[in-house]
Amino acid sequence: MSIVEVQELCKQYDPPKGVLAVDGVSFHIDKGEIFSLLGPNGAGKSTTISMLSCLLRPSGGDALVDGHSVVTDSQAVKEAIGVVPQDIALYPDMSARENLLFWGKMYGLAGAELHARVDEVLELITLVDRQKDRVEKFSGGMKRRVNIGVALLHKPRVLYLDEPTVGIDPQSRRSILDGILALRDQGMTILYTTHYMAEAQELSDRIGIVDHGKMIAVGTNEELVRSVGEEAHVELSVDHYLEGMVERWADVPGVTKAMIDEERAVLLVQDANEVLPRLFEAAAAAGSRITEVNVTEPNLEMVFLHLTGRALRE
Amino acid sequence: MKRIWTLASKDFLETRRDRLALLFTVVMPLAFTAFFGLMFGGGSDRLPLAISSADHGAPATQLVSALARSGVVKTEMMTKDDAEKAVDDNKVAAALEIPAGFSAALAAGRPAELTLVSTAGSSGAQTVQTEVSALAGPLAAGERAAQAAVAVAGTPPGGDSGASAQDLKDAALLMARPLAAQSLAQPVATVRVVEAGTAAGQIPNGFVLSSPGMLVNFILFSLLTAGIALIQERRNFTLQRLMTTRVRRWELIAGKAVGMFALTFVQQIILIGAGQLLFGVDYLRDPAALLLMMVALSLFASTLGLLLAAVLSSEQAMIATTVIVSMSVAALSGAWFPLEITGPAFQFVGHLLPTAWILDGLRGIIVRGFGVADVLPAFGVALAWSAALFALAVWRFRLSD
Repeated sequence: MSIVEVQELCKQYDPPKGVLAVDGVSFHIDKGEIFSLLGPNGAGKSTTISMLSCLLRPSGGDALVDGHSVVTDSQAVKEAIGVVPQDIALYPDMSARENLLFWGKMYGLAGAELHARVDEVLELITLVDRQKDRVEKFSGGMKRRVNIGVALLHKPRVLYLDEPTVGIDPQSRRSILDGILALRDQGMTILYTTHYMAEAQELSDRIGIVDHGKMIAVGTNEELVRSVGEEAHVELSVDHYLEGMVERWADVPGVTKAMIDEERAVLLVQDANEVLPRLFEAAAAAGSRITEVNVTEPNLEMVFLHLTGRALRE
Repeated sequence: MKRIWTLASKDFLETRRDRLALLFTVVMPLAFTAFFGLMFGGGSDRLPLAISSADHGAPATQLVSALARSGVVKTEMMTKDDAEKAVDDNKVAAALEIPAGFSAALAAGRPAELTLVSTAGSSGAQTVQTEVSALAGPLAAGERAAQAAVAVAGTPPGGDSGASAQDLKDAALLMARPLAAQSLAQPVATVRVVEAGTAAGQIPNGFVLSSPGMLVNFILFSLLTAGIALIQERRNFTLQRLMTTRVRRWELIAGKAVGMFALTFVQQIILIGAGQLLFGVDYLRDPAALLLMMVALSLFASTLGLLLAAVLSSEQAMIATTVIVSMSVAALSGAWFPLEITGPAFQFVGHLLPTAWILDGLRGIIVRGFGVADVLPAFGVALAWSAALFALAVWRFRLSD
């Protein structure tokens, strides 16, 4: 059963000639699932979340969140959602507890319920011991945890997380990802945006890949990988003659796509074990020496590459 | 309403923790009040008093000498015409006229009258009147006592020649007491106050000038703190995040405005309290009128701050604009120097700003005992300005850059 229904959502800044940041995006999120919007920076992920948060008015289309339109019933939508923005949207010279109390009041909590909920969230983000410290003294990971905790105060039915792991250390990232999975296990519906393929792959029940404001593919991780023919991703560096080699490798049997990405050749191949010897032979025949080889089994990065012809930068 | 209060309280808490804000909102204004107050003569609180004397008797001379030694007034001898002109020109707090026959009247035991010319409602003149009465009264009483003593000395005490010195002294005192009591029971020197024109042009000096001036100046300057805080909120996306909660746009703007109002109002309480207690500026002559002026100033300052923060996008722009705006408005309004010493054009331009009206109101309260009715025009001007600024701020208010 869908709790979020996005229908042909559009956002054009400064119409009629302005940038079309989101171009007819449609998807749905089922209750209790993690849905990730995966795409490079500038793909339209944050703009989509802003419209679903009622911060931006769509130029076209609509979205229903918990049955309420983001266009006509924004207050009801806001009651249903919790938003974790990409930036640390906290007050640095206030303590973690003061921040949570303030935001709790903004979400309509008060009195004993507010204090009880703040205590629960502090437990959840494991900052009980540091609750009286000012946020400005926290590490990046701790700030991120408070940033997430704020959005959980009013027990939202849908949680939006906009790239919540940007700029933090691996240990904090792991902690946040585990926390998100725990929330899903408790039944919360989560909309997650990221440009980290590995995060989308690990977290998501379903993934929507966006690029240039369009939704270019939607499905489970397996469905998406299958959609590109389960091809392996081979990156090769040569000592010279890179452009000529890419043209030669494109004709090698088993290679379905060959392109240059910066100083490397990037190939999509059906079976890496079978194709690799042929690639070395072709290089030797052309007088080039392969200096580095990386083989990656089919994943979302390759799906993106296959669909857009460009790499999804980590 | 609850959310508006929560937003305002949060802003107030943040400002209270900002040590730099404390410097700008309290320390610097007091330092500048002291500096300008002393520069304008705030160290000497003696009121200028012109004296014209048509009497050259001993009591008149003694009165002039006593006033010259007074710690309350600073005397200057003039002709009667010059003294009255000095009052008209607001160069003195009052003019004391000692009429011909003043000394003779005292000597004859008749009531002696002094004339004090001042502007209507002048608080300085009231102080001068009190001082002149205080010095003239004992002088007249002393003269009467001396006359009584002379009367006794001229009367032989009677009795046989064998009377002792103590007997003579006792008899003299017995005769002098009713004479002295009779003399002192009669009216001594009285001070008649003649009001000349209004005190509209009276120029205050010292701390009376600097305290309200610096109050206005630094209330405007404190927009810097509040404005930067709002710009930072926009840049760190807390404003946007607030709009993902149940807060409505109007509640957010109102919360910010109330926060700025509260900040400037508390700042005013501190500075006015310091002005009253440290610098002896009598703000509390009409508390209701003072409250109106404080509300007017905070309304204007908070709506101006809101507009600046709504229009400007960077902290650097906010700093530069606030410094320019606050300094210009303060100077044009007479916060640094009284507008009365400027020409009509400057005064006209100054009074296009509500702060000039508010300063007139504040100084009117302090110097001339203005009441609520007197400051209502200033309140009206400030209210109109604030409404316009608030409307503009709401129109231009942005959640992000």
